[in-house]
Amino acid sequence: MSEVRLQVQHLCKSFGITKAVQDVSFNINKGEVHALIGENGSGKSTLTNMLTGIYTIDSGTFILDGKEIHPKNQVEANDEGVSIIVQELGTLSGLTVAENIFLGHESRFVKHGIKNTNAMNREAQSLLDKYGFGRIKASDMVDEYNFEDRKLVEIVKATYFQPKIVVIDETTTALSQEGREELYKQMNRIRSEGNTIIFISHDLPEVLNMSDTITVLRDGVYIDTVQSSQIDEDGLKRLMVGREVTGDYYRPDYGEPISSEVVLSVKDVTVPGQIHNISFDLHKGEILGFGGLSESGMHEVGKACFGASFDRTGSVTLADGTQINSIPTAIRHNMAYTSKDRDNESVVMNQSIGDNICLPSLSRLTSLPGILSRSKMKEFANKYAAEMSVKMVDTDQFVSDLSGGNKQKVVLSRWIGADSDILVLDSPTRGIDIKVKQDIYQLMDRMRKNGKSIIMISEELMELIGMCDRILIMKDGAINGELMRSQDLDENSLIAAMV
Amino acid sequence: MADNTKEVSKEEALKKRQTMNLVRSLLPIAGLVIVFIVFNILTDGRMWNKFSMAISSVYVTMIASTGVFFVMTMGGLDFSQGSILGMASIVVCMVSKTSIPLAILAGIATGAAIGAINGFFYVNRKIKSFIVTICTMFLFRGIIKYLTSNAPVQGSAKLIMLNTDTLKIACTAAIVVLGFIAFKFTKFGIYLKAIGAGEKAAKFGGIRTDRMKFLVYVLAGAITGFAAFINSIKVGSVTASGGNQVETQILIALVLGGMPISGGAKSRFTSIIIGSMLYVVLSSGLNMVGLSTQAQQLIQGVVFLVFVAVFADRESLRVIK
Repeated sequence: MSEVRLQVQHLCKSFGITKAVQDVSFNINKGEVHALIGENGSGKSTLTNMLTGIYTIDSGTFILDGKEIHPKNQVEANDEGVSIIVQELGTLSGLTVAENIFLGHESRFVKHGIKNTNAMNREAQSLLDKYGFGRIKASDMVDEYNFEDRKLVEIVKATYFQPKIVVIDETTTALSQEGREELYKQMNRIRSEGNTIIFISHDLPEVLNMSDTITVLRDGVYIDTVQSSQIDEDGLKRLMVGREVTGDYYRPDYGEPISSEVVLSVKDVTVPGQIHNISFDLHKGEILGFGGLSESGMHEVGKACFGASFDRTGSVTLADGTQINSIPTAIRHNMAYTSKDRDNESVVMNQSIGDNICLPSLSRLTSLPGILSRSKMKEFANKYAAEMSVKMVDTDQFVSDLSGGNKQKVVLSRWIGADSDILVLDSPTRGIDIKVKQDIYQLMDRMRKNGKSIIMISEELMELIGMCDRILIMKDGAINGELMRSQDLDENSLIAAMV
Repeated sequence: MADNTKEVSKEEALKKRQTMNLVRSLLPIAGLVIVFIVFNILTDGRMWNKFSMAISSVYVTMIASTGVFFVMTMGGLDFSQGSILGMASIVVCMVSKTSIPLAILAGIATGAAIGAINGFFYVNRKIKSFIVTICTMFLFRGIIKYLTSNAPVQGSAKLIMLNTDTLKIACTAAIVVLGFIAFKFTKFGIYLKAIGAGEKAAKFGGIRTDRMKFLVYVLAGAITGFAAFINSIKVGSVTASGGNQVETQILIALVLGGMPISGGAKSRFTSIIIGSMLYVVLSSGLNMVGLSTQAQQLIQGVVFLVFVAVFADRESLRVIK
């Protein structure tokens, strides 16, 4: 029996009338990777945000190594031995790598009120070297590095001082395979040093692989704590959803031929610095997958198809010969796009659900020419929100109130409402829980059967394999392999073309 | 059981939002009524007796506010409005000697041209709107001073003869009604709100955001160019201080009317009407009470700050995860 590191006791937290965490109690041991899972809005992040001082605690206690802690901010949490790696970008632009690593702890390098930058850089560089990230230079501005490298800087920042507990919140969804491997390595190291990791992830195979113990939350309530070795994926899903997840997860069919009818033809598309000479055809009723490392240019391919790339050359042509060179043209010809950056590029955050759904279809929701009909808009929004079963108060609610999964549903309602024939879905299930994921997969399958064509760009290899008729693998801005749908296809054959 | 509690909280959330909306829409109206009553008491009813005189300065503010309202909904600001009004008034006065209809058109064209300059630097050169418009404010303020350095620019006699309440009310009502229809019942309003609430997402939703932004600045300039006609028939001539501080008046009026300073989907059209009235009652009231200009500005500043604080859109910064 291993020693208890953290006791969570009767923890509660409400936001207005929403009870985000309700009377949660459980223990976390030393030297273990303890996964925290649950659907969106189940309270995982709220809980860890209280532990790391981002939110205040309403009631209940955290007892770390026998001592009650209530940090008021992240620096205090660090001093107690608790650190966090967040889902999105956690480094600050405009500061150097070293300044980011020692943010809030600069006093170590200050003598008589003057900061010794050299000592700080030296110390940071030796840490980076120790972690094997020697190619990152401590004195460089953090802005000079890409998303992946900045995540590595965050790993150093969160773990260099041997914290007793490291919280890793949904970090892996934002990382490519390579970055994940790096993170896994660090996780194993921290565990072997006898310290604890609280691991939040939606990726159940990853959770089973990486963690020793798993705690499940549902609607802010504690459900169960289980040993990873004694449960499988279906068992976890059952605990998370509270009932059996029935039906197929991915589409069940194999061996259906792809139609020969081309609906979208991409020829020699180049976006400087991003992709070069990309050519492919999308067929009617086909789900065409794009896989690769996140820097491979695959996300730009989606934008280029939708007419949203800056400085693009080459051509994107529809079956009727229309050239797609701008977003309005794409939308007018029934194309749709969901961005990987959902909050900034897909939903208009501070606007109502209704206006978000109606946005591309406004021309059709009129009473007199040019004059909008409020009742038609309301009816339209309600119809498509209901079709996607968006969880909301009503369509006047602002999108910013919704969880990630529900935001994505709003985006999809918009494009279904606009009767899109060609959908470019970039990371459609990123950071979304199983139930909504399944909904989205089933929706894609239905659309495919109705003759709609889908380009699916994803960093999750399993969903590409499970959903696509054809997968194009990108590497360094070019297509580096084509794989056809087959039951024998596995992740390794995709990875082989990616790296 | 669980479903039951969800239903209740859904009702509660709906109720809470309706209450918040009611407070937001009633506060400016309540403010207007209270300020009006307070000043009538302070001036022993003088304000009520001279109401038509007090209200005569509302027309220009209300018309020009309509254009700025569109700019602000879109998330921009426009500090060049006073200079636009002054410049356009000079043009109206000059051209009025030839033909009145031509003078109206020339005023609108002048406003639109300055708006186009704002729009060009804002959209094409990607400079923040308040910086661009502060620059054009100084630029055209300078030109106004240059043009009026020897003598005020006089309007023709025909122009001054048009100075009737009926005409001014009709023109103001026309602009406000057209603006209301465009904002509430056409794509224009929803596009503006979408740009204000999330420009990148608006672009990916099919809005030509750059073109919209440019055109809205042109439109705001054109509307104020039309306000210059009303201004000219009222004052008859333009001096070096023509249109001075109108930009701040408009900004204060809109904020008093409940306009969130960052624009977006919470913008309400009523801000224009209530806000302009409230501003005019407040400023003429302070004047009638006999306060010095310094004290008036001080009080306006305090009121402005309070309203900005009340209507700031903090809610969208709140995060629930």
